[in-house]
Amino acid sequence: MSTMSTRSAWRALHYSAKRRAFQPTTPYRCFSCANRTQEQKPGNDRMTHFGFTNVPESEKETRVGAVFSSVAASYDRMNDLMSLGIHRLWKDHFVRSLNPGSCLPAMTADQRGWNILDIAGGTGDIAFRMLDHATNVNHDMETRVTISDINADMLAEGRKRSLDTPYYNTSRLDFVEANAEHMPHIPDASVDLYTVVFGIRNFTDKQAALNEAYRVLKPGGVFACMEFSKVDNPVLDGIYKRWNFSAIPLIGQVVAGDRDSYQYLVESIERFPSQEEFRGMIQKAGFMIPGQGFENLTGGIAAIHKGIKPIVKA
Amino acid sequence: MSYLARTLPKRVPNPFLAQSIRQTRALSTKTLQSTPTTRTTQHKPRTNQRHRTYHSALHARLPDHSYTNSQTAILTSALAHVPTHGFSATALTLGARDAGFLDVSVQLLPRGEFDLILFWLASRRGLLRGKVEEGGLFRRIAAEKGKDVHELSVEERVRGLLLERLRMNMEVKDVWQDALAQMSLLANIPLSLTELHALASDILTLSGDDAVDATWYTRRLAVSAIYASAEVVMTRDPTPDLVETAAFVERRFEDRKALADKITGIGQCAGFGWNTAIGLGRSWGLKI
Repeated sequence: MSTMSTRSAWRALHYSAKRRAFQPTTPYRCFSCANRTQEQKPGNDRMTHFGFTNVPESEKETRVGAVFSSVAASYDRMNDLMSLGIHRLWKDHFVRSLNPGSCLPAMTADQRGWNILDIAGGTGDIAFRMLDHATNVNHDMETRVTISDINADMLAEGRKRSLDTPYYNTSRLDFVEANAEHMPHIPDASVDLYTVVFGIRNFTDKQAALNEAYRVLKPGGVFACMEFSKVDNPVLDGIYKRWNFSAIPLIGQVVAGDRDSYQYLVESIERFPSQEEFRGMIQKAGFMIPGQGFENLTGGIAAIHKGIKPIVKA
Repeated sequence: MSYLARTLPKRVPNPFLAQSIRQTRALSTKTLQSTPTTRTTQHKPRTNQRHRTYHSALHARLPDHSYTNSQTAILTSALAHVPTHGFSATALTLGARDAGFLDVSVQLLPRGEFDLILFWLASRRGLLRGKVEEGGLFRRIAAEKGKDVHELSVEERVRGLLLERLRMNMEVKDVWQDALAQMSLLANIPLSLTELHALASDILTLSGDDAVDATWYTRRLAVSAIYASAEVVMTRDPTPDLVETAAFVERRFEDRKALADKITGIGQCAGFGWNTAIGLGRSWGLKI
């Protein structure tokens, strides 16, 4: 027994020793050429926040990717535990308020059904609800959803779940792996409804994603976003913060075996702009804001933001 | 003191500062005396249209509704579909299509169908004001009664405007009950009441009512109550020119007058009783 453990410990040490890259204490400098000046200095990269820590912009994407790859399998169970099941009510309300699908016969052939783009919707939570609503409430069999996510693991989870829905392997449901800040495969003015639910918080450059949304939407198309936001009631806010920073990492550790990912989650919620600031960002991208521009859910824990791409009269 | 000197009218000769100040004082007291600000006589409504009433002349009138251009475009086209589809999401979607928007663009109206109802109410209110300011409405009402426009009393004007507003509902009469039901939903009640008050206030202002005492409230309350109940009667009125509704409104105005008379009578009676009691007590030697 003891020899076994000694041997495995030795192997681990030996392995890591073998794989360790040679790192000179001073960077490489050849006196006869200018290689060193061409080297990229890490300090020059623009910084962005990853939870409460600052990381270079180039690094955030991979870090967020690691978080979501890690949580993909237990995503739904964790959401239920963290939000006490309320996230289902929010998502249902979100879809119902958007009322996807046309109950009226279309006037022209290219208007048949809505073209919905669900960004960061890897597990299909919103997409299946939209298709269900369009089919069962509005009797619209044409509306289609493209699920786009940057993370292949989340998409795989969504594909797995789509097996249980009637939309599996039909033209109404599509999965695309893409970065929402740059989607060259989606033509200009081709989307009726662009949704991003609990996703935009993790984007490296939110304004770029909003500008891209503005580009792909048809004139009159709608940008709809549900995201964690700022609680306005100080008493509720106190309870909510305590829950976020004490309970959620603990639940993450116990249920998903991953404390750090859920620590990042609550920190990213804390860093997300307030309702008014985010509304300003939507306006900056060129959208019209209906009414107040946002709807608070459960006292502002989450908020639904909407923007409409204006029609330019010729 | 220096402030007074600085704001002296130019035409006052100003050889010596002290004298000019004395003159200014005299001027200001004279002005104060010539226009008493408190009213001692009973309130008599003024019927002069040009007269600016209690609200500030320095502020422009608020717009009838606060919808943006795109919202107004959708709502205006949607109103064309209301007689057939009612105040419904279908009418809104069809309106959005007519205005060149997509089906999804009805998201521009966060309150959905209720926005359509509010827009209807606000735009009709604006039309009513337009009709009055154009001048033809009161002439027509006066002609119906065989009077001159200036002879119309405030009450007659109020009644005329109220009926005119009810007649504007003619084309949506069959779907108006649905709208009333929508307006009475708990979440919609505050805005519905605000709109009703705005209508009552507009009707009274346009009729030349300039009461600034407690009757400001009771008048608006009375007009609101009569209008709201007449709307319900209107939805079940089969006559083509709303004759039954007009008769109903007539009766409610009579009721209002009777009620006002009774309240005045009760007040007078109580006053007499109180005075008699005091006089009786004093005659018995009570120190009151």
